[in-house]
Parts: sequence; C-alpha cells; structure tokens
Amino acid sequence: MNYPTWNFPHIGSGWVIGIIAIVHVLISHFAIGGGFYLPMAERKALREKRDDWMQVLHGHAKFFLILTAVFGAMTGIGIWFAISLANPEGTSTLIHNFVFAWAIEWVFFLVEVTAAAVYYYTWGRIPDKLHLQVGWLYAFSAWVSLFVINGILTFMLTPGPAWLQVAGTGREATAFWPAFFNPTFWPSLFLRTLVCISLAGIWALVTASRIDAFAQPKLKEEILRWSAKWLIPAYVLMPVFFAWYLYLVPGEQRTLLALGVSTIGQGTFTQVTRTVLVTIMTSATIAVIVYFLAWRNPRDFSFSHACATLFLALAATASTEQAREMLRKPYVVGGYLYSNGVRISERDKFNQEGYLAHSPWVLEAEQAAWSAAPQDTPEKKAEQIIRGELMMRGQCIACHTRDGYRSLKRLLKERDREAIDNMLKMLHEMPKDSPYRAFMPPLVGTESERAALGDYLEVMRGKPELPSGTTAAGAAPGSAAQTPTAPPTPSGGAAPAPAAPAPAQPAEPAGGAAAVPGKQ
Amino acid sequence: MAKWLSRAPRLAAVGAYRWVDERLGLGEVLGYARQKSVPLHKHSYWYYWGGVSLFFFLVQGVSGVLLLVYYRPGAEAYNSVREITFDLDFGWLIRSTHSWSSNLMILSVFIHMFSVFFMKAYRKPREFGWWSGLALLGLTLFLGFSGYLLPMDDLAYFATKVGLEIPRKLPVIGPAVVDMLRGGAEVSEVTIQRFFALHVVVLPFFFIFILGFHLWLVQRHGNAVPPSEEAVPESERHSIPFFPNFFAKDLAMWLIALNVLAILAALFPWQLGPQADTLTPAPAGIHPEWYFMSQFEVLKLFGRWFPGAAGEILGILFFTVGGLLWALIPLYDKSSQRAMRARTTTWLGYIVLVGLIGLTILGYFDLD
Repeated sequence: MNYPTWNFPHIGSGWVIGIIAIVHVLISHFAIGGGFYLPMAERKALREKRDDWMQVLHGHAKFFLILTAVFGAMTGIGIWFAISLANPEGTSTLIHNFVFAWAIEWVFFLVEVTAAAVYYYTWGRIPDKLHLQVGWLYAFSAWVSLFVINGILTFMLTPGPAWLQVAGTGREATAFWPAFFNPTFWPSLFLRTLVCISLAGIWALVTASRIDAFAQPKLKEEILRWSAKWLIPAYVLMPVFFAWYLYLVPGEQRTLLALGVSTIGQGTFTQVTRTVLVTIMTSATIAVIVYFLAWRNPRDFSFSHACATLFLALAATASTEQAREMLRKPYVVGGYLYSNGVRISERDKFNQEGYLAHSPWVLEAEQAAWSAAPQDTPEKKAEQIIRGELMMRGQCIACHTRDGYRSLKRLLKERDREAIDNMLKMLHEMPKDSPYRAFMPPLVGTESERAALGDYLEVMRGKPELPSGTTAAGAAPGSAAQTPTAPPTPSGGAAPAPAAPAPAQPAEPAGGAAAVPGKQ
Repeated sequence: MAKWLSRAPRLAAVGAYRWVDERLGLGEVLGYARQKSVPLHKHSYWYYWGGVSLFFFLVQGVSGVLLLVYYRPGAEAYNSVREITFDLDFGWLIRSTHSWSSNLMILSVFIHMFSVFFMKAYRKPREFGWWSGLALLGLTLFLGFSGYLLPMDDLAYFATKVGLEIPRKLPVIGPAVVDMLRGGAEVSEVTIQRFFALHVVVLPFFFIFILGFHLWLVQRHGNAVPPSEEAVPESERHSIPFFPNFFAKDLAMWLIALNVLAILAALFPWQLGPQADTLTPAPAGIHPEWYFMSQFEVLKLFGRWFPGAAGEILGILFFTVGGLLWALIPLYDKSSQRAMRARTTTWLGYIVLVGLIGLTILGYFDLD
C-alpha cells in the first residue's frame, strides 16, 4: 500500500524471487554443509597421511570457494533486490523487526567469506592445525548465519502469539526474542542443517566423480563412498523433524496439506501437496542412485550421474521451498500481513474508507474527480477502469499475472460479468466455508472500488468463452459462469462443473495460492 | 531358526531362478550380456539417449493401454477424455503422463538422432541402424500427431487442421493423402476414428517391428565410438561390461527420466480445452505442436518469399530434399578417417541443428 507495485509480466514477481531463491538455497546450504565437510575430510586425510585425498580436497575447496562466495553471494543479494520490489510491505515488516538480527547475520557472513578465502589460499602454506582451525571457523560462522536467518524465515510462518499481541503497536521490538525463537524455529533449524549436510555430500559427489577411475580407482571409490555417507543423517532423521515441524505449523495449513493428500485421486489436490510429493519422489530417487551407483559401483559413477543427482537435489530443494512458501498462504507474515501487502488490521478501514483512498499513489484531486464524475458516461467508465486497474495492481498482481503464471485472463475466461462480480463479492466477504480462504487474502475496498475492479477485469479478460448453451447475460444453471463459488478447488483453479456440458479448466497446476517467496 | 528365516527369501529366489533357467536358458542370455562391453569415454553420456527414448516408449505403451480402457473414439471422444481427466481417480495423472511422455519421447529421439550423427555412428556397418532410427523418428512424430487430435478439444482440432496443411502441400499425392487421413474434406468424427486406428494399432505395429530390428542391430554391431575416440590407441581405450555395469547406469537414467516425467505430470497436468466447435473460426495464433513448428515456419517463409503455389511447392521441396539428404548421409560420409567429407558432414549437422531450433523458436514469434 505504501510502496509502488511491481508488475513483472508473464511469470510474475513471485517467480522472480523463486528462481533466484531456489538457486541460492542450493548453493547456500552447500556453503554451510560443505563448511563441515572440508575440515572433516581434511582431518581424516591428515590423520591417515593421504596426500591423494588432500589433492582432491584442494580442488574441491577451490570449487567450493568460487561457487559459494561468488554465486551464493550474488544470488543472496539478488533476493534482497527481488523481495524489496515484489513485496516491499513484507520486507519492511521484517526489517523493522529484525534489523539487528540481520546485522548479526551479515557479520557472520563476512567472517564466513573471509574464512573461506583464507582456507583456500593458505592451503599448504600454514601449519596443518591452524589450517584446520580456519576450516572450523568457517563452518561455525556459516552455520550461525543459518541460525539467524532461520529465525526470520520461520517467523514469517509462525510469528507466535507474543509478537502478534504487539504487532502494529510500535512495540514489536519488545517481542523480538519470542518472535525469533518462534514455534517452528527449532524443527526448521534441524531440518535445514540436515539438508546442508546432505547437500555437502551431493556436491562432493560432483567433484569426486571427476576422478579418473582407471588411474586412481581406489581413491575414487573411497571418496565417493565417504561422501555418500553424508546423506545418511538426512534420510534417517528428516522424517522425525519433518513430523515435528508439521505438528507445530498452524492447523489451517496442516488441513490444506491433508486435504491435498485425500484428493490426489481426483487431481484437484493442492499445489502444496503436489510439491511435497515431488520432494518425496526426488529424494527417494537420490537415495536409490547414490546407493546403487555411488556406493555399490563407485568406479562407474560418472560426472553425468553426479550432475543428474544434483538436478534431482535442485528439484527437491525447489519443491520443498515452494511447499514451505505455499504453506504460509494467504499470509506473508502469518496472522498479520496478507500476501498482497494488506494488513489484517487494515481490512475494516479499507472496506469503509476505501482502499485507494489510502494509497499514496492516488492524488486527492484524482480521488475527488472520480467521485464527482457524472454517472453512466464514457468518461466515468474510463475512470472506473483506471481505478479498477489500480485495485488489481494493489491486490492481485503480487500473485497473479494478466496472461502468464496464474493468468487472470485464463481464470476469468469462462466467467461473464455477473460471475466476476459474484466472485469478487465472495472474495470480499470470504465466508468461512470458502475454499479460497485457505490461500487467498480477502478483497478489500468499498463497493464502488470493487465494482471498478470488476469493470477492469471484464475489459482485461476480453470476450468470455462460455460453455455452450449459456449466454453472456445469463449462464446456464450449474455452469462455471453461473456458480463462481462452486468450482474453485483448494489449489485455486476452477474444477470442472459436473453439470456443465463443457468443463472449465482443471485445477490450476500452479495453484491459486499466492507465491511471494521470502528471503531464503 | 532366525538365521534360516533370514536366508529363506534368498534361497527361494535362487531356487526360482534355477527353475526358470533350466527351462529358458537365462544363464546364456546373462552370459552374453556380461561378455558385451560398452565403450567408456568423455562422450559416453550420449549412449543413454537411445535407452531413455525406449523408456518413454514403454511409458507410452502402458499409459496408452490404461487410457484405452476408457477412451471412446468418434462422437464421444471429447466426453470420454473429460471423464478420464475429471471423473476417474488418477485419470488426470495417466493422461498427463501419456501426453508429457510423448513430448519427452520425441525430444529424446531427436537428441539420440543428433548424438548418433555427431558420433558418426551411421558409418559402416551401421547404416541400417541409422535408417531404421530415422524410420522410428518418423513414426514417433506421426504417433504424436495422430494422438494429438484424439481428445478433440478446440486446440487439438485446430492444430490438427493446421498440421494437415503441411502434407497437403505435397505435389500430386498431398491432397489425396490428407483426404484419406481425414476421411473427408474436413477434420471430423471420421478423422478421429482413423487417427485412433493409426495411433493404437497401425503405427505401434510398425514401430515395434522396426524397433526390434533397430535393437537387434545395436546388439549386433555394439556401440560406435566417436572419431575423437577412434584416434586413441586401442590399448588406451576403456570399456565396461554391459551387464551389470552399464545396465545399472542405464536404469539410473531411466529413474531420472521417470522423475522428470512425474514432476511435469504432477505440477503441470495436461489441460483439456473446450470441446471443438467446427463452426467457429480458428483461434488466433493457432499452430502445430513444437515438433512440427520448424516445417510449419518453413512453409510460411517460403509462402512469403514466393507468393502463390510456387512458395508451397518450394517449401515442401526444401524439407523433403533436406530429409532425403539427411537420410543418405551414411552413403556420403563413409570414411572412418577425419577426411574432408567427415568435417563437411559435421558442419552440416550443426547447421541442421541450429536451423531446426532457430526455425522452431522463430515459429513461436511468427504467429498470425
């Protein structure tokens, strides 16, 4: 509301964050897990006086430094830019609450990057013991940065009752610690640490796969097997911590997941369930490939296999992060700030006084002119459409695009004007039995503003494609156009209307939930 | 007792294997597979693509049979696909799997073809492997095309209509062939019946037959090595046994392919548009599927450059002659040395690859 909106065509601003964040998570978690892998492997090599191991580790350290310090840091900064543009209100809330936490994180990040550089460039130049200590310093500082950022990330899902009590009062800082050590902090920290450890193993497989199996068969076998072991803690403990995590997330979100599982057969299951299933499937495949190839046949484990395993790890990471983001819907900060930047506390005010009336991007003179314009004239209509577009930009564009990802045109194409109005009314009132309630924020604004939004959507989506047997003026009973509240599914798409001769589109693949990934 | 119990499953498995082995001679097959070897070099990665294509074909077969149980060709086509997609448990998944795997199969067959081309695996004695592979590619494309119409939603209807414009422009036989495929002057329920018969009986029959021949050739001649590897002295070359080493790696690639397929099918379920209405005009920007886009674009470009019938004939001539030359490559580039012809052929391959990709991309930017 207080910031400009960012209209990123076709893929939407959420995916801009998502794409950067997925790459960042894959690298940054490796940066933490690899921080433990390197000194532990080095210690083993030194104890066993294995120069061949040390050579491989030196190469791995170079790869590690370049990947984490260059690409990790770049994508990290990229996320900052992206979240500031895509969801400035949410970013602002986080900064206002956690500015010191972030300062601490940056301090440790600086130590981490410096230690990584020192670790690589002093290889073989300083005493072994000191070199190992530098490695451990790196590992510790990298993990602390995860510790801090984990507090902020989990806060977004479960800010906790103590913080919610003071939210919006200006006294949020008094609840800093309960907000930081919020309900899902610990299970999330353990889960992420396990992911870091397993990613350290997977990335090490990439380096080890390049060892010539004909020239150094024993070395390749040993390093691959040792690296493969790094996946064991995650596969053994992950289900336990995941169950703990799920136990602590809000009941509504658990319901969304459970509902998704029970509706897989019909294909209307929620997007969060789809992505969780992808996580499970890719993780299981990684386990099979690592066991049968890297562990059982290490000499045949090639670079392409390592890359394929890495691709699966990317898919698993991406789907897990996306599921985590969607689990938080319809909020950016649970119970406080909706994904479109509207605060729960502002809902009534906007409904009574108007959403645009509080926008700094609408001049008072414009607001007055809109109100004063004569009714039912082309000028009035044109102004309504401008107002409607402002409403759409303010409340829809955070999650939808006009004609790309979660396309409004596609979602509205089978709805006539009456159906659009009914839909907007339902989104405004958001009754308790509405399936949209689980993942969409309520539409706020006065009746006139909502009508303006309807005018704009009607013009934007073009000519409606109604099922045969219906007309634009009055849709056939039971059709998608007539019953806007009937067809929606938990995934946010329009499920088929059984009575309609021609069905609407199946459940929207990407789900209707808002996707505004936060800082990873 | 506990020890015996823990060994029981293994003993049972060994017993069962022996029972089958005595009757079918499995040991001989495995012995043959163990003797076979696969070259190991920096381009070995490309050997997987034939197997990946085969995997997607198998998925096509299994998911296709499941769809066959509920699909009703003819006037009921659209409704039956709607029921499969929306009413039947997991119907959406089977349909999505079938549609996505067909696209992935076409993609992997193309990758396999170009990897064979650049490894020069069409040279003596593998010419028939190249030709049978091209026949399989043609059948795969035809399977994709014939299957695309079967749901009979508006996109399928109009894309098929547009797609049939390509063969229709073939001189002399074009219109007759298209009329025969359509079963009339327009795409209709009769066309669905014909495409259905082609898709589930005629084309798979020829496909399996040629596939068997293709696989037999691969077994007979083994995997070819690229020219760069040919230059390496025999004593310095490496290889691994086909069974179990390469077989295990191949299975791992199949598993990864299955993951890709499952991700696409689960996250991006194949959509079903409104029922085709033959009386309405074609939607703006209608175009064939991506694997026919380059030909479609060639026809468009030639039509612009040479207005009238000349453009159509030249366009058809362009990729007919091009396809023929592509098929005849083994007769031109025969030398196993790095001769001039070999280099020319490699460059030709690059031009064709870039041309296909470029025209396909251009096609999407050049929609009416």
